Amino acid sequence: MQRLRAVFEKTGRAKYISHLDLNRCMLRIFRRSGLPIWYTEGFNPHPYYSFALALSLGFESRCEIMDFNITDDAMSADEIRDRLNTVMPEGMGVVSVAPQVQKITAITHADYSFTLETASPDRLKADIDRLLSAEEILIEKKTKKGVRTVDIKPDMQVTDCRVADSGVEMSLRLPAGTQTNYNPTLFFEALKNTGAEPFEPCRICRTAILCADGSNFA
Amino acid sequence: MLLKDKIEKHLLSVQKPSRYIGGEVGSVIKDRSKVDVRFAFCFPDTYDIGMSHLGMKILYSLTNERENYWCERCFAPSEDFEAVMRENDIPLYALESLDPIRDFDFIGFTMQYELSYSNVLNMLDLAGIPIFAKDRTEELTQIVIAGGPCVCNPEPLADFFDIFVLGEGEEVNLELIDLYWEMKQQGAKRIDFLRKAAQIEGVYVPQFYSFTYKEDGTIAAVNVTENAPEVIRKRIIRDFDKVYYPENFVVPFTEIVHDRVSVEVLRGCIRGCRFCQAGFIYRPFREKHTDTICRETKALCENTGYDEVSLASLSTSDHSEIDPMLTQLIEYTANEHINLSLPSLRVDNFSEALLEKIKKVRKSGLTFAAEGGTQRLRDVINKNVTEEEIMNTCRIAFQGGYAAVKLYFMMGLPTETDEDIVGIAELAQRIIDLFYSIEDRPRGKGGVQVSVSCATFVPKPFTPFQFEPQDTREMIEHKQKLLLSSVKSKKIKVAYHDPNVSQLEVILAKGDRRLCKAIYTAWQKGCKFDSWEEHYRFDKWLEAFEECGIDPAFYANRRFEYDEILPWDHLDYLVSKEFLIRENKTAHQSKTTPNCRQRCSGCGVNKKVGRECFAKAESGI
Repeated sequence: MQRLRAVFEKTGRAKYISHLDLNRCMLRIFRRSGLPIWYTEGFNPHPYYSFALALSLGFESRCEIMDFNITDDAMSADEIRDRLNTVMPEGMGVVSVAPQVQKITAITHADYSFTLETASPDRLKADIDRLLSAEEILIEKKTKKGVRTVDIKPDMQVTDCRVADSGVEMSLRLPAGTQTNYNPTLFFEALKNTGAEPFEPCRICRTAILCADGSNFA
Repeated sequence: MLLKDKIEKHLLSVQKPSRYIGGEVGSVIKDRSKVDVRFAFCFPDTYDIGMSHLGMKILYSLTNERENYWCERCFAPSEDFEAVMRENDIPLYALESLDPIRDFDFIGFTMQYELSYSNVLNMLDLAGIPIFAKDRTEELTQIVIAGGPCVCNPEPLADFFDIFVLGEGEEVNLELIDLYWEMKQQGAKRIDFLRKAAQIEGVYVPQFYSFTYKEDGTIAAVNVTENAPEVIRKRIIRDFDKVYYPENFVVPFTEIVHDRVSVEVLRGCIRGCRFCQAGFIYRPFREKHTDTICRETKALCENTGYDEVSLASLSTSDHSEIDPMLTQLIEYTANEHINLSLPSLRVDNFSEALLEKIKKVRKSGLTFAAEGGTQRLRDVINKNVTEEEIMNTCRIAFQGGYAAVKLYFMMGLPTETDEDIVGIAELAQRIIDLFYSIEDRPRGKGGVQVSVSCATFVPKPFTPFQFEPQDTREMIEHKQKLLLSSVKSKKIKVAYHDPNVSQLEVILAKGDRRLCKAIYTAWQKGCKFDSWEEHYRFDKWLEAFEECGIDPAFYANRRFEYDEILPWDHLDYLVSKEFLIRENKTAHQSKTTPNCRQRCSGCGVNKKVGRECFAKAESGI
């Protein structure tokens, strides 16, 4: 049995597929592909696959991670990728298939890019700079234990921030994985709370899933 | 801004956005510039419901087989998205191209239930298409048509549609589109097309017909113009085993009501239950071969990736090859980890062998439609099921490990008395007693559970009960209270429908053309999604009836006379009115009629079709 890891894209209209629906969608993708996917051996056998990180509804991604097992040891990773790609819905596509090397727990960060659309990009950029130069960036985060105030500044890294025609284009690196997960919406919220120039977050895309040393997870 | 961008700008603010943006696997995309005729297949309810409709899947694929025709899907938006659409000037659009449907050649609605009528008006309005047929352009475009079971009495909708298509659509739809394209190329006008279309069998152009009424409100005469036929006969597919069936379905992202492959195994019904419209309007009985069914199942499962398949029919166990069919199907589905579900099984031919087969594929509850609480009443409605058979089936089921039984009944059936209502509770109690009398019953906690679900009887056109009045709300409420007080065990759960809803259903089902105005008025008052409890506003409907001078009781609670001209008498659904009258009289004598396999009841279908129903059907036609 091959234990495999696929990196797949979820872009365009596929961004409207919720995480719950993605599960069902993937089941049908596997069934259409006819690939010899490994079934669980319990009372109610079902194809085994799991996603490393959930993606918010409306976000695009170039780097979603899915683990699954194939019972045919002779089948090449490229063939598996190609067979999945022929039955994927519009906007979804497998970039690569390879054996699972690292444990899912090795994931520590994820990169996001987005555009904050606004009528006056320069003013919004100034508001962003002001927020980023503050001592701390406090937001209220809802957790299972209730609402608590956290400072996202230490864990947030702005890798790009520039003025464009329709707004401000940004890239952010945020904690991700089994320990801490920050969603870019936390940053949008913090920015809105400063009374910044009105803006609309657009084209939010997860661009990379990373390990502690900054290398790509898969 | 492109319509697509406009839609996407607001999509994340609404529930289940994937319903509004298309892109599903199996959806058919064509190059607009290479397409001659565009057809918007509209379902007047939300995506989740409409996408479950088998007829749409068939006609969608069938039309798209023709390279130069493009059929797309369109559904009613939920309230949140409708608000977004109205606020941002987003016209109703089709899901494949995201183009506004007002630019389409055909806007076709499938009318599956009366409570979706108001949604049609709302969708036309959202589309920017004139709601009344008379207000539409003289040019040949934007032809608004309807099909489906409700068009067997389309009069309450007559003012809103250009064309009604009666019966099965697999052939006539293409004939209609072909004629359209031919005449479009000749530069014909709308009226020219409608005149010619009216000559196609199964095509009813309501504007060519008008009604006059007697003083008592009943119909005096139907007047026909434009050389249209006096009587319009529904279409049927003669060779059902060879009829087109899609090899692929559109596979939705979001979960829909029937989220699985459906394979149609037979059409029509041999039973003749006197309340059941489907049992009469889909005659004659025709079935598919086991091999055809298995081939279609396999193709659909492979192409869609669904892991569940359901057999669609009015009564699956009436298929002449049911045993070999299930054996062959289970062999495939078990191997491929596919669940097989079998709705529509009958109590009277529910064998132990059949139960064994079902148990292999699922182990949920069992549902039986007993319909009437006493044998006398079951005889009146011709539900040819005896208490012995119900008990026998329950015994088999209990011994087979089932501990939950669901029973469906109707309330307000013709000739029904308090005794029949008490009979429902007694029958449920005897099932519970039976359970505890069985030695090898399931020993789980909680014991047995009997759910009793009571619908209010709605008399429907083209059934022997079409003449019958519906019980008034007071009568139904009395019966509901009586049933509740007759139930003595906590193991019996009772559920029933709101009688106000059933009253609107019967008015729309048996109404005539004068109701068009009332439907329009009700919609203007905000009525839509009438089948959704949270949207249903019976008070608004009553206001609309009153403003339009319509007495609801005239349609709901009046006996229609045998010699009266009924609003649907000029439509021919193959069963004769004489037969329906005969059956109505037999019902009032509490006498049953054997099923079609046992003895021909002379409904007249075979004469009109020109062949014996079973001579060929038994061998698969």
